[in-house]
Amino acid sequence: MLTYTLLAGLLFGLYFTLIGLGLNLVFGVMRIVNLAHGDFLMLGAFLAFWLFSLFAINPIPTIPIAFLVFLLLGFPLYYLLVPRLLRAKDPEMLSFILFFGLSQVIQALATILWGTSERSIPGGQLGRAIAAILSFVTGRTIENGPIEILGQSFPAAWVASGIASGIGVLLVYWYLYRTKLGYLTRAVMVSRDEAVASGIDVDRISAIAFGFGLGLAAVAGVFAPFLLGSITPAMGAEVTITSFAVIVIGSLGNPLGTLLGGLVYGISYMFMQSYYSSWANLLPYLLLIAVLLLRPNGLLGRQARRA
Amino acid sequence: MPPDASVSPLLSVTGIEAGYGKVQVLWGTDLAVAGNESVVLLGANGAGKTTLLKVLMGLIAIWRGRINFADEDITSLRTDRRVRRGIVYMSETSGFPALTVDENIRIGAQFLSKAEARLRAEELYSIFPMLADRRRAAAGSLSGGQRKMLGIAKALASNPRLVIMDEPSAGLSPLLVREVVRVLASFRGKGLAFLIAEQNVKFLDLADRVYTLDGGRIGFVGTVAEVHANDALQRAYFGLK
Repeated sequence: MLTYTLLAGLLFGLYFTLIGLGLNLVFGVMRIVNLAHGDFLMLGAFLAFWLFSLFAINPIPTIPIAFLVFLLLGFPLYYLLVPRLLRAKDPEMLSFILFFGLSQVIQALATILWGTSERSIPGGQLGRAIAAILSFVTGRTIENGPIEILGQSFPAAWVASGIASGIGVLLVYWYLYRTKLGYLTRAVMVSRDEAVASGIDVDRISAIAFGFGLGLAAVAGVFAPFLLGSITPAMGAEVTITSFAVIVIGSLGNPLGTLLGGLVYGISYMFMQSYYSSWANLLPYLLLIAVLLLRPNGLLGRQARRA
Repeated sequence: MPPDASVSPLLSVTGIEAGYGKVQVLWGTDLAVAGNESVVLLGANGAGKTTLLKVLMGLIAIWRGRINFADEDITSLRTDRRVRRGIVYMSETSGFPALTVDENIRIGAQFLSKAEARLRAEELYSIFPMLADRRRAAAGSLSGGQRKMLGIAKALASNPRLVIMDEPSAGLSPLLVREVVRVLASFRGKGLAFLIAEQNVKFLDLADRVYTLDGGRIGFVGTVAEVHANDALQRAYFGLK
């Protein structure tokens, strides 16, 4: 039971890292809190659902589609909302109000368009894609079904979501720590003023980071039907709280902290699900309160708000 | 080297007025820096030195006046475009503490091609060997003197035409100040102009000309020899004589 819980916690932890990463990237670069983050995840989930329902497109190829669509959506949205916000006296506080409003608008529009019914994608779809990939890679026929890790059996959809999230997290770290755009982004995270003085086009970097944040939320949304259960237009608010808990646990504005926060959250979540399942929904709030009381700067402490 | 009156200066600032909110800090400031010239801007705390430098970089909005650089009006140009044209700014913080030394230098060289940037970084590492040894270390882990050298290396990474420095001696011991002055002096006469806001008398060793700024207005303009000959200036800015 313990091994199962830890491994499942790891898979979910990688997924929660992916959920939190976009929110933390936006906060780190712009010092604004995107309270509509969960709603963009919800839109990503509906994109995956409709592509599957209408065109039978498997969720795996939906990943790059969702990322690109929301990355591109992020640019005009950034220039429409954020530069004005950053000129305000207290952009951090104002961002709460503005993005809360945006969250309500997205949720209302989604409800008008798609109603309130719960929707899902059959878990076997992800398993089928993974079986096909593994068969191609190994040259053997791999059957679609539960996947065994260290003697424990997990739904293929969980493993696929965990691995894909892990790859997504690695790609984000590669981007931030190994590319020119990445270190320019981290420079803005360290000091916006110094970045401007160094000739960095801070608006361009922020727009890209904002688009990236939305893209990551949408990619996390593609896996939502498999890890978070059925999808509805109202799911965004809960996801935003979860992602907020993840980044506060790790350290606000610190991308490395998100990985730590995601893993701590994922493993705690699975322990709660395994041993006190009726209390599991309380977890984000309990962890948030505990971290804010004991380590207000997150588990990475003094490194908070650094790149 | 004092500017040649027949040649238009590299940087010319005319009638600058600027401030914060409703508080005016600069009152019709004029200043010029020729190519290859080192100008030191002296002024007490609150005289408006940092404000003037930030206006030159486009970091603070200008209320009135005009800034020309290399015969181009850059008054309303964005900061990144000023940097592209060859004006760089070294703030008191000297870079990004959470980024590595190498990343800081690459940020300085961001407008060069990848190959040029790599070549430039190696040139700078040969000039600043103490940075070469610590190129993978976080800038925040460097000593005060090393950090200042990193700030200079970062500023020079883009092969600029004008380096604007805000109190490069801030937080340094007299020994390190001498080292910073020595390093900067080694770049004089190599097609590079400096505009350095300072309170430290040691930086006069670098200056071709000196401006004093008092209450947001330019007071004295002259050579270092004229500063040394002026008892009132010596008393006002260096507590000497």
